[in-house]
Amino acid sequence: MSQPASDGPGPSPVGLLGVGAALPSGRLAAADVAVGWGQAGGRGSLAVCGPDEDCLTLAWAAAGAALAAAGLAAADVGGLWWGTARPPLAEGPSLAFLAAAVGLDTASGGLLAGGSVHAGIDALVAAWDALAAGSVASALVIASDALVPGLGTGAEKATGAGAVALVLSADGGAARLVARATRVRPLLDRYRGDGQAGTGDPYDPRLYRERELLPSVASAVDALGDRVPAHARWSLPDPDGRLGKAVAQAVGARSVSSEGVFPRVGDTGSAAPFLGALAALVEPGPVCLVGTGGGRSTAVVLDVITPVPGAGPALAALEGGAGGTRAVTYASVLRSRGQLVPLADPVPMGVPPGSAAFVRGSEEILSLEGRKCSVCGTIAVPPSIHPVCIACGNESGRLVHLARSGTVQTFVVNHTMPPPFEAPLPLAVVDLDDGSRVMLQGMPEDAAALAIGDRVHLELRRYALERGVPVYGFKVRRRIDHNGGPPPASANGTTGAAAGVVDLAGARRERS
Amino acid sequence: MSWNRVAVVGGGLIRFGELFDQSYEKMAHGAFSAAVASVDKGFEPTQVEAAIVATQRGTLWGQEGIGGNTVPTAIGLAGVPCTRVENACPSGSDAFRIGAMVVASGVHDVVLVIGVEKMRDKSTDEGLLSRAAAGHPIYNRAETAPVLFAPFATRHMYEFGTTREMLASVAVKNHHNGTLDPYAHFQSEITVEQVLASPPVCHPLHLLDCCPQTDGAAAVILVNAERAREFTDKPVWVAGFGVATDHPYLHEKSTFTGLPVTTAAAERAYAMAGVGPDQMDMAEVHDCFTITEILDIEDLGFVEKGKGGVASLEGETAIGGRIPVNPSGGLLSKGHPIGATGVAQITECYWQLRGEVGERQVEIRHGNALQHNVGGRGSGVSVVNILTTNNP
Repeated sequence: MSQPASDGPGPSPVGLLGVGAALPSGRLAAADVAVGWGQAGGRGSLAVCGPDEDCLTLAWAAAGAALAAAGLAAADVGGLWWGTARPPLAEGPSLAFLAAAVGLDTASGGLLAGGSVHAGIDALVAAWDALAAGSVASALVIASDALVPGLGTGAEKATGAGAVALVLSADGGAARLVARATRVRPLLDRYRGDGQAGTGDPYDPRLYRERELLPSVASAVDALGDRVPAHARWSLPDPDGRLGKAVAQAVGARSVSSEGVFPRVGDTGSAAPFLGALAALVEPGPVCLVGTGGGRSTAVVLDVITPVPGAGPALAALEGGAGGTRAVTYASVLRSRGQLVPLADPVPMGVPPGSAAFVRGSEEILSLEGRKCSVCGTIAVPPSIHPVCIACGNESGRLVHLARSGTVQTFVVNHTMPPPFEAPLPLAVVDLDDGSRVMLQGMPEDAAALAIGDRVHLELRRYALERGVPVYGFKVRRRIDHNGGPPPASANGTTGAAAGVVDLAGARRERS
Repeated sequence: MSWNRVAVVGGGLIRFGELFDQSYEKMAHGAFSAAVASVDKGFEPTQVEAAIVATQRGTLWGQEGIGGNTVPTAIGLAGVPCTRVENACPSGSDAFRIGAMVVASGVHDVVLVIGVEKMRDKSTDEGLLSRAAAGHPIYNRAETAPVLFAPFATRHMYEFGTTREMLASVAVKNHHNGTLDPYAHFQSEITVEQVLASPPVCHPLHLLDCCPQTDGAAAVILVNAERAREFTDKPVWVAGFGVATDHPYLHEKSTFTGLPVTTAAAERAYAMAGVGPDQMDMAEVHDCFTITEILDIEDLGFVEKGKGGVASLEGETAIGGRIPVNPSGGLLSKGHPIGATGVAQITECYWQLRGEVGERQVEIRHGNALQHNVGGRGSGVSVVNILTTNNP
């Protein structure tokens, strides 16, 4: 009997060059959710998005970290395989937005996998096949989720947000992809119908555990048989902080690298299998990561040959990275998720997001482009409104990607804005390291300490949801090192891996 | 310079404030009537040969967007040539400059310049948001009006040691002056402590560092200087004017300790008038925020760069000081109905030079007064007009 189609291409040299992770800095105590519904309980804390974060901004941050760890320029990546159960646009250019923000070539391939929290695994599997088939030489795989649990569901006390990015090569790496198996059963686990805002829970927790989760995971693992070495470390599903133990018992896992992830960040959906594997990627040996959801379970075996670049900083991201974490309230989380809505009609912004002005202005913001004068070298930002040089008036210029770090020239902290803006909101004029100057929003947590002369780096954020459409652009974050002071400027303008900053110096697109 | 000299022979305005009970048209009519009534020897509305209307935010705020069409009917002059001028916060002062040029050209001898602005017909939130979304559709976000000036305060404090107390002293002075001006939106004294303790709006600016949102209208009548005596024995002459532009976005600015656009406009106006800042008896300048007045008095040449805060704190710009600034109360106290603001400032200069404003009268030694507005997306437009009692 031949190997089932879902069990993959067999032995291939496909390998892992680097990994990156990103989690929002906000932490919601699960117990606070319980209190909100007049209940006791709730364990651990959940990594939750602020109003300007979503699965796309987290994906961008993880991608930057992974590319930096892999030493690969964004423009040289063959394609983007992104898995998320809930893309920011249910229909629309989610993948294209992310590709532009990461800085991929416009000819890059890939796909957006969705539909369940199995989507991250789906993205990995699809990229693996593309690499094995020789369609691309390298692939960026991202698993990210920022699910919106239904109000009053048990998942509210368990749902976190996070992203993991893997850079894969057709020609080996620090870890090799060894084997995989997927098994499918048409069962209803978590679900969200068309038009529903929040994800619904399984019908009955015991039924889900006994007849869906455990049998489904076991069937995928059983299919791998002895291709999972006895000493493998396991990343296993743990959607509520308790089921992980039962799953480990069911598959006979002795060493579980995903232990301890849930209490810190909650269930991160598509990203969970990969976050759970990080602790196993820092040292050599076999790893088995299992993802489940949407009636499908997949087990993947990796062989870590040398510590995977980026795995250490990615693990640190679970703790919030260099910026640390901050406690947030249940009400603020509901507002960020769009579940707490004021009675008054929102005031629409000036320009509809489908309009010509947006079409002209969107890509240059996502890709953070400037117009560099061919004569005097001055960089004007953004290009669409600068047909000539602002310094010398020359008409000859080319598009460049701007540096992603710089120094604060001056700033304000805006306290008085109508929705969708949330105060306090710093805005800073920043002298970027390439000599250009921009003015961008900052992070609320930097409002108190921001000062002229501070070093900052740029992060992709969701500026607004306008008429239902997410609008993305860059904001600045104050850089602090672990001693509390600003770190020295690095030669190439990039920052630490967990911060997720891509050096695009090698990826400049030149157009006349 | 070969241009027909221009005289101001009348000026008037309505009491500025939240005029919920007055339409755009009613405000225009009120200002026009006040200007007509102010002419010493009498003035028939039908003597107006052409009108220039300043309304800045018409199309954005839902008020009558086509002011050049709306105002003639509102003031009983349907049929008169009329054009709307929009040039950001200096719309009113630029309408005055253009009106002066129309008279100077010899095409018309009697021109009405009228500024009208409805700021309060839409909610504060909506007003803030329309400002916050101006410019590039994505790049410029959350840039409410204070964001366009507060970065200058941050940097001015950093470079020169300017303090919040110095900023506050501008608001205290202008609110005091406003108590002496029956047309001012606010007519009560405030203290430095109150300014410092007011809620933060946009760090480092607090609520009382900011001008209010105000409805208002103002009008002046310009005539060919050769005909001025038909209307008054105390005409005030247009001595000079200047307008300048700069890049509109803050990240394009060459400095955050001043507005070179104002210096450029002032240099043109001073050159045209043949006078300098030392020969001004008073100035009505753009104080949308306290920091703006400090930048203005430096950029206009009244005080050395970096010394604007100290000069304000020490009373150099008070009525009775070395160079009285904003005796009308300024934008901070009188209010800032954008299109009307510059025209109302001209009216104040006209009255001051004629010695007609009672308690807030400044000493007239040289016979010169300066009017100034600056604004735009990022203070990209500045206009300076100079009036004089010295014969042309």
